[in-house]
Amino acid sequence: MKRRSALLLAIALAVAAIDLLPLGLLLKQAFTPDRESFAWPPTWWPHEPTVQNFTALASTIELGDGLWRSLLVTILTVASSFVLTLPAAWLAARQPRVDRPLDGVLIVARLFPSLALAVPLAALFVYAGLYNHPAGLGLWLAHTLLGIPVAFLILRSGFRAVPLELEEAAWLDGASSFGAFWCISLPLVRPSLAAAAILVFLLSWDEFAYAVLLQVTNRSLPPLLYYLAVFGYPGLASAVAALMLVPALCILLVLEPALRSGGLTGSSR
Amino acid sequence: MNAKRTDGRQRQHRRPLAVLLLAPLLLYLALFLAFPAAYAVKLAFTDSLTGAFPSLANFRDVWGDALFWRALINNIFLPLCSVLVELVLGLALALFLAARFRGRRLLRAIVVVPFALPEIVFLTIMRYVFAPRGYANGALAAVGLPPVEWLLPGHALTFATVVLVDAWHVTPVVFLMLLAALTAIPEGTLEAAKLDGAHFWPRLRFIILPLLWPALAAAVLLRGVDALRIFATPLVLTGVEGVPVLSTYAYHQWSDYGNDGAAAAASTLLAVVSVLLTIPLLQRRVAA
Repeated sequence: MKRRSALLLAIALAVAAIDLLPLGLLLKQAFTPDRESFAWPPTWWPHEPTVQNFTALASTIELGDGLWRSLLVTILTVASSFVLTLPAAWLAARQPRVDRPLDGVLIVARLFPSLALAVPLAALFVYAGLYNHPAGLGLWLAHTLLGIPVAFLILRSGFRAVPLELEEAAWLDGASSFGAFWCISLPLVRPSLAAAAILVFLLSWDEFAYAVLLQVTNRSLPPLLYYLAVFGYPGLASAVAALMLVPALCILLVLEPALRSGGLTGSSR
Repeated sequence: MNAKRTDGRQRQHRRPLAVLLLAPLLLYLALFLAFPAAYAVKLAFTDSLTGAFPSLANFRDVWGDALFWRALINNIFLPLCSVLVELVLGLALALFLAARFRGRRLLRAIVVVPFALPEIVFLTIMRYVFAPRGYANGALAAVGLPPVEWLLPGHALTFATVVLVDAWHVTPVVFLMLLAALTAIPEGTLEAAKLDGAHFWPRLRFIILPLLWPALAAAVLLRGVDALRIFATPLVLTGVEGVPVLSTYAYHQWSDYGNDGAAAAASTLLAVVSVLLTIPLLQRRVAA
């Protein structure tokens, strides 16, 4: 029995080490000067810890631009995903006849290869003046396609949990369809709204394929990180990578309690 | 035609309202999903030199390109290998973490960390891990082993490294799907088998795996369609020529040669295969 629990502990520690290693190395490199990152043999923790990578980032114009572009695209994507899916998700939750075909279309939208759309979109955006748009508007239009299926699934299961009787009661009290939706159903699905907003935000924030094809010089953060890594700036690249983790961390810390109270449970149907 | 049915109590089947609610979404999908997909097909069958349509010129071009054939073959074997590795690792992790021991909740959270990292962040670190003077070779050197070329273009080991990195990132998804199914198995079933003296392998083979079958099938389908469009992993680790797949080939043709016809031909091929593989998912949904 003793040997078995020692084995169990060894496996548990190995699994934990393997799964924490990437994050650990990322943080280590972000706080390490480049000459140490290039050293052989590689170091496993910073011997000369420094924040110079972050101060260097703050002074590069391209990073500031990339950060704002990423934030703008991400926030616009959350907004457009909501505008497009809120009415549809409510209707789908109420009417199975609408739900089935819509659900099928959105599964195809979710699994369609990004590159197979990014290439024709790039060609079309060249005509429309949206290719490599300085504010990332073309990228926003493409990212909305990523947000829609996720937002729809989460919001629909949220609306399904709202009894139709509640809305009917509001109608009887003289509310319009829209009034019942706005004052009764929408507040009740707030946890689903939060969950959908978070997931769509992270999808757009992390997305690489559309971004690298559509924003060739006016880069958002993911393609910027790619170029920094490929062209040999380990410190800067790791600092950008660490920066990209910040929204996810904020969301986890601020909204984790809200999610735990059932916002996501409805979506795991 | 609907003017007389504005009465609030007859909301159930008002067609114009439904159309109005769906219109923005359907319009968006028509403009940014259906139209570009159709446009890609048109590009693929248009001769970029003469503008003739329909023409097979682009397909003849890629047919004669050795890189395209490598991309096509990798696009078959890379998803197969990575889904297989992810299933085995995900199942092993789920079995391990379904057992009761102290610290299990913490370990479950840690196991999901690689997937919580953005893909491009994860891949950036992996570049440094598998670089010639990177951490993997550093670890080998620390135990006295010679360095290994993990990412040399066109080598079998490079293919294996890409599979390994993909599995490192995505196994948590398979793990979560299988863990959910595993914890749904009634404890009594397993207890009964144990009392009957069944050892671990027979228990796995005859009780656990059959009960996990629906979850395994779902994981294979979802991950399979997802793995088919693999793009960032080979591109970031090996560039466009290391382990080419159809997506990186299309990217290469578009951004390095400006050849939108060849790019559209390769990506249309990928889209057709993906949609064909999505059909079983849609059918499962109807059956469910």
